[in-house]
Amino acid sequence: MRVTIKLFATFRDGRFKVEERDLPEGSCVFNVLQPLSIKPEEIAICFINGKDANENSVLKDGDTLALFPPVGGG
Amino acid sequence: MKLEGRYGRNKKTLSDEDQLKLATSCVAIVGCGGLGGYIAEELARIGVGRLVLIDGDRLEVSNLNRQIMATELNIGQWKVEAARDRLHSVNSEVNIEVVRGWFEEDKGPELFQNVDLVCDALDSREARVVLERVCHEMNLPLVFASIAGWFGQIGVSLPGDFSVSRLFGRGEQGVEKAWGNPAFTPAVLASLSVAEAVKLVVGLKPSLRHAWLQVDLLTMEFERFEIL
Repeated sequence: MRVTIKLFATFRDGRFKVEERDLPEGSCVFNVLQPLSIKPEEIAICFINGKDANENSVLKDGDTLALFPPVGGG
Repeated sequence: MKLEGRYGRNKKTLSDEDQLKLATSCVAIVGCGGLGGYIAEELARIGVGRLVLIDGDRLEVSNLNRQIMATELNIGQWKVEAARDRLHSVNSEVNIEVVRGWFEEDKGPELFQNVDLVCDALDSREARVVLERVCHEMNLPLVFASIAGWFGQIGVSLPGDFSVSRLFGRGEQGVEKAWGNPAFTPAVLASLSVAEAVKLVVGLKPSLRHAWLQVDLLTMEFERFEIL
């Protein structure tokens, strides 16, 4: 299945802005994070198709996964 | 000095009635660093009648790269007092109240007494979540913003919304610890905050309720996300 991965802010550093990935059926968000070297605890917001998700959420063909790091400065 | 024309260039962006609403309003700015300094500066210039500035820090050398209230001459001064001194010379018609201390949940009712709107300029995600809770308990609108490196987030949380807890409720240390805060990011996010704050004060609908703007100054992308 094909999933679009969108990274934001510092997650783009040394990675990419948006990419499509071929993943085995039944893959979850965690399976995407591992090859990207992003730990679940580094994520502040995780959206699948604009809705709240987490590392255990299962992905479907055509999904868009968006990942945001915590931005907390003032 | 005669200053009748002070708000002349606000027209016709702001009507006389809007200007009167601003002059009779009180905005609390929680945090007086990178974001808070610029927010205070712009709200004073545009003519908000009363500002409450809250910060428990003193100015230090590392603030000079971005904090508009910091100069080489006032290092060591309380941030809120440096802000008051500067704003007094910018717009002496604005009543500035300073609080030399940190925002805490149980201080909310005292700090936000007679306040119409709160601007978040904190540097802690946990404190932002507490601030949203306090604002909502007091039925106050909140404009929130955060920055790190080239990046920022800004939105509006009205009583009953949980935008801040949804955005800032999880994730470990913010990436600002590694990426710092350059001069331009707080200025941009503060200006976006003030635009939303002014709308709320004059009675216009804010644009970023149930949403946030993800700002990326490295790619110059401003992307809006809905908080469903």
